[in-house]
Amino acid sequence: MKTTCIRTLLVLSTILNSCAVSEDEIVKESTYDCFMSDNTSNQGHPKHVQYQALLDELVGKGVPGIMMTIFDGNDNEGPWSGASGMADLKNRVSMKNCNISRVGSTVKMFTAVTVLQLAEEGKLNLDDLASQYLSDETMAGIENAHEATVRQLLEHSSGIYNYIINPHFQTASLNDLLKVWKPNELLDYARGKNANFEPGTDLDYSNTNYIFLGEIIEDIEGKPFYKVFEERIFNPLDLAFTQFAAESPVPKNIVRGYIDLYSKLEVVESTYYSGWDYYTADGGLISNPYDLYVFLRSIMEHSIISEKSFQIMTQWKSPSYDDDIHYGLGIFKMETKFGDAYIHSGDAIGYAATMLYLPKDDIYISWAVNGNYGKIDALTQELEAMEHIIANVIK
Amino acid sequence: MRNLKKPWFAKGLYIILFFFLSPFVMAQSPVTVAVFNESTSMPLSPPKIGPFHPGVLTGSDITLYESDRNKTYVSINISYTFHKKLYQAITIGLNLGYDYKMAYGGSLKTGIGIGYMHTFPVREIYSFQSTEYGLKKAKGNSRFIPSVSFGIGQRFSPNDFKSSELFVQQQYWLEIPYSPGFIPNMSHANTILGAKFP
Repeated sequence: MKTTCIRTLLVLSTILNSCAVSEDEIVKESTYDCFMSDNTSNQGHPKHVQYQALLDELVGKGVPGIMMTIFDGNDNEGPWSGASGMADLKNRVSMKNCNISRVGSTVKMFTAVTVLQLAEEGKLNLDDLASQYLSDETMAGIENAHEATVRQLLEHSSGIYNYIINPHFQTASLNDLLKVWKPNELLDYARGKNANFEPGTDLDYSNTNYIFLGEIIEDIEGKPFYKVFEERIFNPLDLAFTQFAAESPVPKNIVRGYIDLYSKLEVVESTYYSGWDYYTADGGLISNPYDLYVFLRSIMEHSIISEKSFQIMTQWKSPSYDDDIHYGLGIFKMETKFGDAYIHSGDAIGYAATMLYLPKDDIYISWAVNGNYGKIDALTQELEAMEHIIANVIK
Repeated sequence: MRNLKKPWFAKGLYIILFFFLSPFVMAQSPVTVAVFNESTSMPLSPPKIGPFHPGVLTGSDITLYESDRNKTYVSINISYTFHKKLYQAITIGLNLGYDYKMAYGGSLKTGIGIGYMHTFPVREIYSFQSTEYGLKKAKGNSRFIPSVSFGIGQRFSPNDFKSSELFVQQQYWLEIPYSPGFIPNMSHANTILGAKFP
């Protein structure tokens, strides 16, 4: 009997082992072909060498690949867009400034702008109860959902629990890395959870707020929120590198994503692992630093929203636990060594992005990298990393 | 298109299994064999049905105390886990188990354990070397894994305490460390279906 059992075990392990290690996808270099005009790319910019050196330095420290766009409003040189590192490590394809990448939560600024446009058109009032536009099924079991206003959702003062920090969600999403999540499945992880505080009494970042805002946009406009983004933002601003994941979750030409899961600068590909944010307005944006710059500038110059809406968007409030960060509507003000930065960052599994504006210097910087977690975040996403990038741009 | 190739350590796995199992063949200790599904789960959460992250386990145990109702024992086991997207792992574990014997050969089982797990990636690894990333042969990662388990068993011959037994167990275990600076430790669960032979 023992011998039979042991043989059975060996057969089973042989079967398992025979399908053990998979090589990453073979992708033709031409798959990543893209085009950015010379005017937009601006490789003749007087600071090209300085800017490119910054990107090369970050790649030389362990960032797989990076794209960046910089615009200095004090000169007449126009925006500069550059890239360094690899778009695809397996196939040794270099990153180009016109590639596309996941930019995660930066979409929240797009969501906020859309809601502010709807408010400008009188289709909603920011102080309406969100529950006017949300179904009972959507709000079921979510504390504060019936009491919070649209403005409180936008500025993260609703107190509503952030589904993404629920450990049950985190383990479930890791357990099934290829799962594509629908909004109600995500909201289930906020149901039955205590709110963080009474609406309007404090601030705390919550992705759940922006799932609700996406549903509010759909309720008012009668179409998917990402279609509304296309009509109101992508097309008018000619954001040629921007799309929403729901339309094509993993476009063939998206740069490969990588995670440094064990914090050893040893990365594995994770391009297909971001299925939790394909269909909700808290993430899921696919874009490029140039388009993020165009979008951010359109807000600062009041072309995509009115000056009045911009003033509303930038009525800063700070949470009780942190005086250094200031919440607006879909935007943050962060204090840096170089003055205030208006900012939003985002990430997906294997991707991270940031867009920021320095009002004192009138400088825009946006970047996207195809790697995160472990030691990579410290190079591009943490405060010190951002200050390093700013320092090397404004010097 | 994904290409498959046999891992360099496959032979090593067979050698380890051979040396580990040989004493069991010779000795009089009972042998446990089991298959299981691993999931990333919070402690005490119900078993997850999918996706399937299969594993096989074998081991043996030594009885410390046994009466008509109670049995305590120490077991040692080795297992192999295959998570299609993240890793495969070899685990060696030591467990302190307790069975409460019920009527008709049934039993309630619980146990605590500690173990060592060595994980190997199942995807290609790109390692940063001085200025750029390049493909690297994986040496794997070492893990400490404390565990707690609950289950039920059924002896084939209800009146014979030495009889073969079928059991199902839910084992919750922590992977320490997991992702330093991101998720320090990760909780898992194995849903185990096994048999113990005298």
